[in-house]
Formats: sequence, C-alpha cells, structure tokens
Amino acid sequence: MKNVRVFYRKFGPCKYISHLDTNRVMIRAIGKSRLNIWRTEGFNQHAYITFALPLSLGFASECESMDFRVLDDDEDLSAIPARLNECLPEGIRVFRCAEAVYKPAAIDSAKYAVTLEPMNESEISNIELSEKWEAFLQLPEINVEKKTKKGMKTVDLKPYILAYEARQGEKVCFDLTLPAGSTLNINPNLLIQAFSDSIGTELYADITRVGIYTKEGEDFA
Amino acid sequence: MYPEKIEKLLLKVQKPGRYVGGEMGAVIKDKQDVDVRFAFCFPDTYEIGMSHLGIKILYSLFNEKPYIWCERVFAPWLDMEEQMRAHDIPLYALESGDPISDFDFIGFTLQYELSYSNILNMLSLGNIPVLSKDRHDLNHIVVAGGPCACNPEPITDFIDIFFLGDGEEVDLEVIELYRQCKKDGKSREEFLQLASQIKGVYVPSLYDVSYNDDGTVAAVTPKNGAPAVIEKRVMMNMDESYYPDNFVVPNIEIVHDRAVEEIFRGCIRGCRFCQAGFLYRPVREKSVECISKQCHALCQNTGYDEVSLSSLSSSDYTQVVPMLRELNSWAKPENVSLSLPSLRVDGFSDDILNEIKTVRKSGLTFAPEAGSQRLRNAINKNVFEDELMNTCRVAFEGGYTTVKLYFMIGLPTETMDDVADIPLLGKKVLDTFYSTPNRPKGKSPRVTVSASSFVPKPFTPFQWEPQDTMDVLREKQQHIKKTMAENHISPSKMSYNYHDSDTSYLEAVFARGDRRLNKVMYEAYKRGMHFDGWSDCFSLQAWFDVFEACGIDPSFYANRRRSFDEVLPWDHLDYGVSKAFLRRECERAYRSEASPNCREKCMGCGAMKYGGGVCYEKR
Repeated sequence: MKNVRVFYRKFGPCKYISHLDTNRVMIRAIGKSRLNIWRTEGFNQHAYITFALPLSLGFASECESMDFRVLDDDEDLSAIPARLNECLPEGIRVFRCAEAVYKPAAIDSAKYAVTLEPMNESEISNIELSEKWEAFLQLPEINVEKKTKKGMKTVDLKPYILAYEARQGEKVCFDLTLPAGSTLNINPNLLIQAFSDSIGTELYADITRVGIYTKEGEDFA
Repeated sequence: MYPEKIEKLLLKVQKPGRYVGGEMGAVIKDKQDVDVRFAFCFPDTYEIGMSHLGIKILYSLFNEKPYIWCERVFAPWLDMEEQMRAHDIPLYALESGDPISDFDFIGFTLQYELSYSNILNMLSLGNIPVLSKDRHDLNHIVVAGGPCACNPEPITDFIDIFFLGDGEEVDLEVIELYRQCKKDGKSREEFLQLASQIKGVYVPSLYDVSYNDDGTVAAVTPKNGAPAVIEKRVMMNMDESYYPDNFVVPNIEIVHDRAVEEIFRGCIRGCRFCQAGFLYRPVREKSVECISKQCHALCQNTGYDEVSLSSLSSSDYTQVVPMLRELNSWAKPENVSLSLPSLRVDGFSDDILNEIKTVRKSGLTFAPEAGSQRLRNAINKNVFEDELMNTCRVAFEGGYTTVKLYFMIGLPTETMDDVADIPLLGKKVLDTFYSTPNRPKGKSPRVTVSASSFVPKPFTPFQWEPQDTMDVLREKQQHIKKTMAENHISPSKMSYNYHDSDTSYLEAVFARGDRRLNKVMYEAYKRGMHFDGWSDCFSLQAWFDVFEACGIDPSFYANRRRSFDEVLPWDHLDYGVSKAFLRRECERAYRSEASPNCREKCMGCGAMKYGGGVCYEKR
C-alpha cells in the first residue's frame, strides 16, 4: 500500500463545485477509472480519499491535491493522471501523481492570483479602483470581523499579508500570499470584502490559487 | 458552456453549480452541423430535473441522431431569476449557453400540475411569446409530454403540441417532420396540421370546445382533419426500446444521485387512486439479461456505485430475486449497491432483503394508503394488515428499527373511523416490534406516519369524485392527532406528518380542469407566480385572488361530483383504459370491493388492444 498524492487544476464550470461535491466527483472518477485504492471498511464502504486544503466555492486553482492509498505497490503512478482525467469533467485536470512528500499539516501558506473589478463597470474606473486599492494596502491596520469557532472576532489582516505583488494588466491584478492550513487560514475574500466595504463599491474578484507552500517556503508536494 | 455575462453573478446566488453545465456525459455538438435544436426544459430546479429518468432517456435518444442537438434547461431558482432579469440575461441551455430563443423546439415535461406556472415563466425568461397564438414562424415549437399531458386542457393556450404516452418514437417522428417541413419551406400551421396526423400527437389549437349552461363540457370538435380521438403511444418491447448507456453526471449533488434502471413500465395493481397505474398500462417488463447489461454499462460509464431499480412496484417484477442475484454477480465484486424502491408490503421477502442488504440500512417505507381494511378494499390497495405486520417483523429481525408509513386522507367513501385507524395501524407496527423476539436489542423503534391529501385524477376510477374540502381535510388531520393522544401513543416512538392541503387543492383544480383555466394560468403568470410546488413561493390566497379576478370558481373543478355520463375535458384522449371499465371500478369502490390484479384475472380495462405485455402472459 502506498500513500499517493495527485495534483490537479480546477477551473471553468468546475470552480462552482463545492468541497463536498468535489469529494463526490472524485470518488465517482476513481470508481470509473477502476483504480484499485484502499476503501473504508465500515458499513458504508467507500473509496478513502482526503484533501489537504479545501478550496472555496468559486475559486479556480492550479495546485489542488488529493490523497489516497493505492493497494498495489507496483502501481504505475505516472499512468494515473491520464486514467483519472478520462473520468473527470473537463474543468478538473490531474497533471501529476507521486508519493506524498509532506503531511497536510505542513501546509503554511497559499498564493492567490486575483483580478479585481467593479461589479458595475460604470461605477468606478479601473484606474481609480487601482489607486484606492494601493491606498487601502497602505493602511496601518486592516481590521475585519472573522468567524471563528468561538464566535466573531476582530482580526487585523495586515500582518497576514505574507507577500504581495502587483501584476500589469488593464484591471487590478495582483498575487497575494496568505496563511493557509488547518490552524490558521485566511481567505483572500476577507481582505477584498474589507476593501469593498471601505470604498462602498461592490466588487467582483476572480481568484485562482496558484501555489501552496510549507513553512520552509517549499511547494507542497 | 454558460454565457460569459453570468460569471460575475454566480457567486451572488446559492448553488451556482446549477447554472454552469460542464458535466461528464453532457453532449456538445457544433450547432452548424445540426438541423434541429431541441431545448429540453424541466420546469423545476436543476437538482429535481436532473433526477428525472424521462429526461435522461430522451436526451440521449435525441442526441444519438446526428441532425438533432438536444440540450438541458432548468428553472433558475428565485435568486438567479432575479439576477437574470436584472441583467437582461435570457434563459439559456446548459450545453451551449445559447438562449432558448435560438432553438427550434422548446420541450417541457409535465410531471406535476404545480409546475405549470414555471413553464410560462421559463418561456418569458427565454423571450419566447408565452401564448401559442403569438408565435408565428416555423420555429419555437413548444411541445410537452409526461403524465400531466393526459389532461393538458388548462395549458392549451401555451403549448403547441402535446405528446401522449411513451415518447421514444413519437417525439422523433415529429422532429423529423419538422425537419422536412423546414426544408420544404412550410408554414407553422401546415407543420402543426401534418403533426396532428401522427399517432400520439395532440395539437390543441385544432379542437374547439363548447360548454353546457351548467359549465360542463358539451363537446370537443376537431377541425382541419385532426383526429376526433387521440391515442397514446406505447413502447411494447421494452428490451428493444431505447435506453441510454450513459447519463449526464451532475457535479453537484442532486436529489437522486445514482444510476437508474427502469425494470418495467406500468403496474398490475390498479389501485383506484393511482393515475400512473392506469396511464401506463399494460405492464411491460424488461428481461433480466437486458436489465443486467444496461445497469452494468451505466455504472461503468457514469462511475456511480449505486443503482436504483425503478418501477411503479418493484416486487411485482416477475423475476425479482433472479434479477437481484444476477445483478449482484457483478455488482458485489465491483462495490456497486442496489436499491429497490417502491416495494409493496406483500412483496417484501427474506430473499429480497438478503440481496439488497449490502445497501446502507436506512429506514423502510411502506404505503398502506388507508388505515382500515374496508377502505383499503375500496381503493383497491390489496394490502392486508397481517401482511404488513409480517413484513415489519421480517424487517425488524433484519435489524431495521425505523418504519415509515404513507397514508392518504380524503379518499372516496372514507369515514372518521377509517381516519382513526391510521394511527392505530402505526401503533400495531410498534407492538409488532416489541413482540419480535429477534428485534434489535437496546434500540427503540420509530414509526413515522405521513398523511397526504387525496387528489382525484383523470383516467382513474375516482375521476368523477369530489375532493374533500380543505375544512374536512383539516378536520381529518386533527382527528389523527386526537386519536394518537387518546390512545397514549408516544410522539417519541411515532411521529405524524401531514402535508399541507392547500397545494393539494390547487393540484385538484388543475388536474381535472378544462380550457377555461388557461386564462387563470395566464393571469397567475402575469402576477409573477412561479415555483408553486415550493412552500417558499406557494400562496393559495394569491391563487384565490387570481380565480376571483378571472371569474372562475375553483371548487367547480376540485369539489364537484361529476355524473358518470358527463363529458369530461379529457374524453377525446385515449390512454387505453375505457371509461366503462373505470366506471365499473368506481362502482366496486362504492361497494368496498377490491379487484384482482392483472396477473390474477383480467378485468377488461381495454389495454389488451396494444397486443402485448401482461395481457398476454400465461396465467
């Protein structure tokens, strides 16, 4: 038995598959592919798969991963992406399969490529939006209400912006690195919502997760 | 693929996955390569529509033809409709993202009367004229089929063509005719007239209806050579009948998220309240080999690990145990589980239980429909109390502790004593649990009693019966509660649910309505009514206001007893069961007399004329 991790991209219509539904889609794909993987042994037996880091509804991603155990130690891992892709909707593409290097708990941060635009284009120009965004980022504190297990809590997001890089483009584009993982996870929408509230303009954010990293800054593998 | 314009809106609505398509098994064609585009519309949400078997069969069947591209369309939920209207986005099909006004055919399936308002709303969301008379060119042919097409009179102003009976052949014949008419440059009227000559096709604009002074129908008169009586179509050989080997597999969870295999069509029972039991006569079975082959292909192509074996009464399948064994020969090793819904109380055996035990142990559901033996005889639900108790004992011994019992109130000939017997029957099930020596230890039983309100339907022996008034229905609901209290039945062991009688009332009005209800539908649509099947939207008061504005008394349709010689609004439609037979069955009901089922004795319903099925089995 081998612990195996597959990496896949999620985009287009598949952005709108929730985490729970992604689980179902994957289980069906594995069933259809006839991959021989370890199944739970309870009353409702099913293929056992886990996801290192859930993806929010509406986000695209370049770097999702899913773990399972193949029963045959000699299973050809390099053939798995193609076998799964045949059984998945077009908006989910597996591009790599390897033995898992890190435990999911090793995940420390994630990078998001964001494109911001006003929901209603006549409300604000891209240039003005860009200026306001730059100014927003310069604020000494960015306080938001965050839902935690113990109720609502005020959190300053500023120190959580681990890296930021503006990208050239007609619209407001940037890469943003935020804490990620099971202990502390900051959703980029928190920051964008805070910005939207501060300028009183409804925004649309196109968000793609482009990287997931360990504490040491290595790609989660 | 969804229209680009909606991308920004999707995160503002619940379950955006409903509106984007992109599923496995969705058929994508180049619109330049096809002659006919068919928008298959289900007048309810994605999760409900995608669970429907008929749409799966016809979708695949149509798309097998290289010249047809059939796409799926569902009713957007309230939040999405609001966004679409606010941003001028017309109703679109999920495969191409093209607005439905680009399509030749806009087809609706009529599964329940309360979805009619959604049909009008969907047409208007698609910028298609809602009234047939406002559609002029040879395109936008609005067609409809499904069980409610057996009395389509309340929506004849909106639909151009109704398909009666099984759709597998007649739909294609009409599509092919359209393709030819298009080539020949024929007009819409010419096409409709030619279509009316095809068996199973009802073109309502080719019939005039006149009324008597008392409001009943005087006559239905065909014109322009349309047939006086329209006969339903029937697929007689189920093994040879088209069945898809793949489904569109949704990416989001739907109501019935599994493979479905139809094991037979029709029902031998003839329960007198059940419309499906008469509409789909005669019973036609698939062979075990055919079922196994089709199920296996479906599981392999979809990746589903559960198959539901669908029919009106699965334990009436003549080869039920051999079928389950054959299926399990591959299903077990492939980790596929089988589910057998619609089990009758008297058809539940150890053998069946053993074969489906691999499935998760959810509760068991049975439908005695009435509390007393007298009333069960009157409605011809041939289920006996000792059978129910035996079955429950088998189930309890098999480890089950939860039993759901479905009943109806407001059945013809029902008395308050019959109503009181509903909770008392539930109590006997509880007693059975405690008297079963091998019952699951340390667990307490739970019985759920559900009572819905009876709706008299066309083509049943009760088609002449009045529906109980809502006051009487409410009184009966309370009587069940009172009986429970008087008999000290603990609500922790037996819960009682009842369905709102308001929706049943509206259903009763439209089920047996005539053409005068078209203006009610139209007025309701203009007032923005939709999703009447959902408590979020339904308001009976709003409908009463519409009836009043239109000068129509709904109780004429719901609560009036028809005389046996009245011309019924659907008398010009022929579903194979004769009016004389239905009347005989109704009279037997008055005498609380049950009838044997089709396999025991032929009661001469008329379906023998189709030349096959159960009518010609060896008895």
